[in-house]
Amino acid sequence: MIVAALLPAAIIPASAQKKNAAPDSTKATATTIKEGASLFRGNCSPCHGLSAHGGGRGPDLTSGRWTHGSTDAAIFRTISQGVPGTDMPANGFEDSEIWAIIAYLRSLTPPKQPAIVGDSAKGKKLFEIVGCSSCHMVNGSGGRLGPDLSRVAAARSAAYMIESIREPDKELSNAMLDPNNHYSVPLSYGTVTVVMPDGEKISGVALNEDTFTIQMMTAEQSLRFFQKKDVKDVIHEHKSLMPAYSESALSAAQMQDLVAYLETLRGSVNGEAKEGR
Amino acid sequence: MKTNRPGISLLGILLVMATAISQAQVTYERLLGADNEPKNWLTYSGRYSGWRYSTLNQIDTSNASRLAMQWAFQVSDLGQFETTPLVVDGVLYGTGQNDRAFAIEARTGRAIWRYQRNLPEKLQPCCGMVNRGFAMLGERLFMATLDAHVIALDAKTGNLLWDVTAADYHKAYTFTVAPLAVKNEVIVGVSGGEYGVRGFIDAYDAATGRRLWRFDTVPAPGEAGHETWSGDSWKTGGAPAWITGAYDPELNLIYWPTGNPSPSNYGGERDGDNLYSNSMLALDADTGKLKWYYQFTPHDLYDYDATQVPVLVDAQWDGRARKLLIQANRNGFFYVLDRTDGKFLLAKSFGTVTWANGIDKDGKPIVNSSLQASPEGTRVCPGALGMTNWYSPSYNPETGLLYVATSTECDIFTSAPQRYRAGHDFLGSVYVPDPVARPTGALKALDALTGAEKWSFPYFSNPNGGALSTAGGVVFGGDSDGNFIALDAKTGRHLWHEQLGAAVYSAAITFEVEGKQYVVIPSGSTLFAFALP
Repeated sequence: MIVAALLPAAIIPASAQKKNAAPDSTKATATTIKEGASLFRGNCSPCHGLSAHGGGRGPDLTSGRWTHGSTDAAIFRTISQGVPGTDMPANGFEDSEIWAIIAYLRSLTPPKQPAIVGDSAKGKKLFEIVGCSSCHMVNGSGGRLGPDLSRVAAARSAAYMIESIREPDKELSNAMLDPNNHYSVPLSYGTVTVVMPDGEKISGVALNEDTFTIQMMTAEQSLRFFQKKDVKDVIHEHKSLMPAYSESALSAAQMQDLVAYLETLRGSVNGEAKEGR
Repeated sequence: MKTNRPGISLLGILLVMATAISQAQVTYERLLGADNEPKNWLTYSGRYSGWRYSTLNQIDTSNASRLAMQWAFQVSDLGQFETTPLVVDGVLYGTGQNDRAFAIEARTGRAIWRYQRNLPEKLQPCCGMVNRGFAMLGERLFMATLDAHVIALDAKTGNLLWDVTAADYHKAYTFTVAPLAVKNEVIVGVSGGEYGVRGFIDAYDAATGRRLWRFDTVPAPGEAGHETWSGDSWKTGGAPAWITGAYDPELNLIYWPTGNPSPSNYGGERDGDNLYSNSMLALDADTGKLKWYYQFTPHDLYDYDATQVPVLVDAQWDGRARKLLIQANRNGFFYVLDRTDGKFLLAKSFGTVTWANGIDKDGKPIVNSSLQASPEGTRVCPGALGMTNWYSPSYNPETGLLYVATSTECDIFTSAPQRYRAGHDFLGSVYVPDPVARPTGALKALDALTGAEKWSFPYFSNPNGGALSTAGGVVFGGDSDGNFIALDAKTGRHLWHEQLGAAVYSAAITFEVEGKQYVVIPSGSTLFAFALP
């Protein structure tokens, strides 16, 4: 395990050095860009969106902001080696394919998504006031029911975050993905309700589940484990436990402030939680 | 063990020698009569008919709840563990991830030898560095390797006996299949349908490794069926053959299914039916010549490989005894064919199908042509992984049921045009599971002659593991969440399960050693053996 973790790091300097000698991605031909677009669509779009504007699992790659380094060499490394501790896997592309993908990404213009002009300090307060922190942890403090948001902006576009706040049911966040199950679909932060034999209902999110058992975080944020044979029913709903924040609950201006705060949450490359940039 | 010591006689020595010789040899005659020696598991599906059924009945519906682990064997490698081990006279032979292989004492799980192929660095298996098992003939084990070689190992030592190149792995030709041994032949089919290979099924001489015949699954110019490919599309047409077929010795026919055309999810540059992709092929066992074919999914756009083990059943059909071939296909339909001539007899969906509105009386799908991969995405059922997949079904002659692991997954297909480059993936669209309806699975029991569902045991996740059924009235399945499960074969009632800690990517086998029936299942990188205490 230790060997596996250390080896790639030992290799990085040499290979990164070699990659620096690679073609300038801004001078790529139309053919290369088209090739990159095809590779991107086939391999990257399931997480980063069909037009690279971000999806449920991957960040917007058109924003011009690169959490793991913005040089061609850094992006090359991110694509080839992945980002440990995130959903971004290592990829077996050939060097020329990675350069084509980078050329394609460089050719994209930033999307006309809502510009975030809010006040992040106000947003940080709102995060407490409107209840986000009761369920979401940031840098070690907060609730446990929803996803930890310490590096949310490194993985989600602002547009996606706004949608998640306004319409949390629209696209549920992914929860556990079993690394032993290569064709599996991750569990989601949908609502699960266990109905006990006496009719008592216990709702929450599934931390894990299989044919016979379920491991839950209840809405009250306690861990509960059940054998399905001991309960009356297990009901899954494609519905988030998070309330939908309409404009009456969170005005457009407040949304700007809140997302401005979320935009500062980018963690750090080596897993050291860090607020701001 | 008995400890009496009889006087040694010459006859006794000769008898012992004769026994030793017969035990070390898996003759073709033994393979033909595999159903008469249920103590062993001699070929991929247990017998040539593809049943994955055993007449062993020590473990039955009354005692399966007491199953207990007897041993575990660690391959110690990551990735999907898809092997079906063989068991011959107390020795279990298996293959593992990255073309590892091993022989172990079947009673204790202790290794006798281990083998690992020295693989080149850059290989292109679509779906993991997997291998599904050995074939055995005589004292030799045969393995088809990820770098597109076929090799023979000495069963007692694991030493390499011969090694032949079947195809060029640089162009993404690979093998994952467990070979089938018939007469003196070792039969294999290639993988690579996601990379624009031109598929084939080969037979090699078990003694020397010399290639005896090849059937190209995509016809060349001048060959029948070539007209089903537009332009040069046949050159990269796919139609791999990556699952072990069945064999009917009376007809001397090998039944071998084929996979998707390439590119798998875009048909715009390969107009036509694209023979012999997604087909059942009946090949003469001696020559490899095509006797008949039946194509389940012509001009496929959704990756519906027909690579599910064909099951050979003899039954009354329309008032007369008939030799049938049944298959629950990845495209969502259960089929009955006449295996003498390939005549289509019946098709019935066994779950939600949207790509076709049914199969007509001639066996042609009534295709829903509005469902094509589109720039914005099109939802199609079943998804690209199919309503079932390569994981083995099991046929139980006592219940007359076919046990099939099934998935509810539907996928969103989005067009992603690609040009062919040797050794690179060649799909033509990208697909993701429908994000709203999380896919689940089931182990279903289908009437083997009508396809009607008799029972269904729900799995929480879409499956990767198949089924084994026994004369003890038990059917064994494995789910993707690591549960190894025993059910009542008649009713689907849960009898027992054990959590193994990693997804099951294979189907169980069973055998007997010293009066004890074992059931063996791979999970993670471990082979687990269960028996009654």
